[in-house]
Amino acid sequence: MHQPARNQQSIYAPRPCRLLSVTELTPNEKLFRLQLCDKTELQHQPGQFVQISIPGLTEAPISVASSPTRKGYFELGIRKAGQLTSALHRLQAGAQIGIRGPFGRPFQLDALDGKALLLIAGGCGLAPLRSLIQYCQDRSDEFASVQIFYGARSPEDLMFQQDLSDWQSSHNFSCRYTVDNKPATSCFDGETGLITNLMNDIQVEAENCCAVIVGPPPMYHPVIASLRQLGLNKPKQIMLSLERQMRCGVGKCGHCSIEHLTCCCDGPIFWLEEVEHLRGAL
Amino acid sequence: MLKQLSRSDLEQLLEAVAKNYALQVPQLLADGTRQLGPYDNAELSLSGQPLQRKPTSYFFPQTELLLTLDAAGNVQQPPPAEKPLALFGMDRTDLAALTFLDQFFMAPPADDIYLHRRLNALLIGLTGDAGPDSSFLPLADDGCDIELIAINQKWLALGHSEAGKSLLRKFNDGDDKQLVTLRKASRDQPSDLLQQASQLLHDDLVPDAFWEEIADRCILCSGCNLACPTCSCFCLQDRQTPNGTERSRVWDSCQLDAFMREASGHNPLGTEALRTRRRIHHKLVADVERWGELGCVACGRCDRACPTGIGMFAVAEEMVERFGLRS
Ligand SMILES: Cc1cc2nc3c(=O)[nH]c(=O)nc-3n(C[C@H](O)[C@H](O)[C@H](O)COP(=O)(O)OP(=O)(O)OC[C@H]3O[C@@H](n4cnc5c(N)ncnc54)[C@H](O)[C@@H]3O)c2cc1C
Ligand code: SF4
Ligand code: SF4
Repeated sequence: MHQPARNQQSIYAPRPCRLLSVTELTPNEKLFRLQLCDKTELQHQPGQFVQISIPGLTEAPISVASSPTRKGYFELGIRKAGQLTSALHRLQAGAQIGIRGPFGRPFQLDALDGKALLLIAGGCGLAPLRSLIQYCQDRSDEFASVQIFYGARSPEDLMFQQDLSDWQSSHNFSCRYTVDNKPATSCFDGETGLITNLMNDIQVEAENCCAVIVGPPPMYHPVIASLRQLGLNKPKQIMLSLERQMRCGVGKCGHCSIEHLTCCCDGPIFWLEEVEHLRGAL
Repeated sequence: MLKQLSRSDLEQLLEAVAKNYALQVPQLLADGTRQLGPYDNAELSLSGQPLQRKPTSYFFPQTELLLTLDAAGNVQQPPPAEKPLALFGMDRTDLAALTFLDQFFMAPPADDIYLHRRLNALLIGLTGDAGPDSSFLPLADDGCDIELIAINQKWLALGHSEAGKSLLRKFNDGDDKQLVTLRKASRDQPSDLLQQASQLLHDDLVPDAFWEEIADRCILCSGCNLACPTCSCFCLQDRQTPNGTERSRVWDSCQLDAFMREASGHNPLGTEALRTRRRIHHKLVADVERWGELGCVACGRCDRACPTGIGMFAVAEEMVERFGLRS
């Protein structure tokens, strides 16, 4: 058994981070901009996540919502879902929190090179996808085109509204979004209906297309069916991000297992064909 | 290296080990069951029922401090143990379970908390005529530093590691011929029930209705998981103390509803049938896929622990009987 260096940090030890700013995205979601206290870069890749540590409340996995091409900080888009995320929502700029990571298998950028991308997000899934979208913005000549599709429950649940309009006007980009329901009183004049409606009438050259899906579990099957219809039938054409409960982020705690895989290390980003035959994966 | 030890040699060996290690030895409890406990003055129980509590819990205890966080976010690691552990009395299945856990926790990134307990620990296996009423327990032949094989009130001692060999050096040589016979007897042992059950599950020949039936019998006590020496799932727990926040890990059980439930309410293991299937499938199929071997070492603890008779062997037997190929 080989000996680890005694002074090496434990894999369970969080690193201190400073909260640079907090922005409200929706009534339930906030964007947190952070910097490691030692001022180094997080050195993540799009699609990876960190474990946020708050003393007394343990940890929660949160995807990095900004691209590593944007230096000096990293961002997390967090929904208030329970104890730890609510405590985070009460914090203000200047506060210190702990993180571990980055962890997990990122979006497979090599496979996206030169491709026409369909980037599809539902709900809170836009936060992880934003790291890839920003990356594509900053390296736009590496991709043939980038089409973004985003669905939220209602107009007030639309996250990153400023980004959505920026993306609509970015070189090589298109961006469409829809809400499931629009209250009668809403002045929202965008599209309504399920995200799959946005995908019915698009033109793609399926051969050169790669799709990335990040969303809540009920979204996967219908979106995958739409992509199949568009002709994305080959391996390595559909990539998706799966969410599971995670306690450790390093493949030990067992909570995120999907048959023989762990979502935290073998994922959270998978090729569809790696998981579609596994029970309960999708 | 093969040696032969008399009772007093055995006592000398343990005495030497206890100088440098926190030695735990098998002991008989008042109710007739056996447990590992500290060596000091303990009366040795050198044969009998399998150890009730899984010995792997010395390396992966039920609750374990990972670190302490102070108000400024500084991290303090728990101090290392004064002496490394030495465990005496594990049988072949217990040693196989520890080898399995070693592989699991050492897979990159290595779990330093496990490693610090496991590293430099000494294992002395106990096989041969060491079962109930001195019945024969198959040899382990690996997975420990020293293996003591009970035979006719004496012990053949096999040194597997350098540390083991050097502890044994001063004792008399043993008879290799005896070892050959014992090894042959050990080969005759294993049953292929678990392999058959594994194959059935792998080939998807077990209908969902079966899992519903088995799950209906489960009282969700989680005993099967907590008793199992290869179960490794845990959750984290924070506790505020005057020194700061102590973050520990605590065993968890995949038989409980909260195991995979997410804040959104989504639960990939949302029914008892799914969780029961997972308990068996994980060890018999998923572990084979991941680690190349069954995650069940056939120790029998879950069958003894389960109050309603649906431990691993009971389920495997029922599965093979109902869905296996009849010859
Ligand atoms: C890889 C990954 C990336 C994620 N990225 C984001 C993100 O960018 N933005 C965002 O808002 N949310 C994200 N989540 C979900 C987020 O982790 C949960 O909402 C959060 O853990 C809830 O914690 P809580 O303490 O507030 O809730 P509680 O219900 O009080 O949860 C208690 C504990 O349960 C576990 N847990 C509960 N729900 C989840 C869950 N859905 N996923 C994982 N662990 C859970 C955590 O260990 C948590 O500490 C992500 C989850 C995963 C697995
Ligand atoms: S028999 Fe039961 S307790 Fe023992 S290793 Fe197999 S599953 Fe675990
Ligand atoms: S020990 Fe038996 S009753 Fe208890 S949780 Fe396990 S299978 Fe269910």
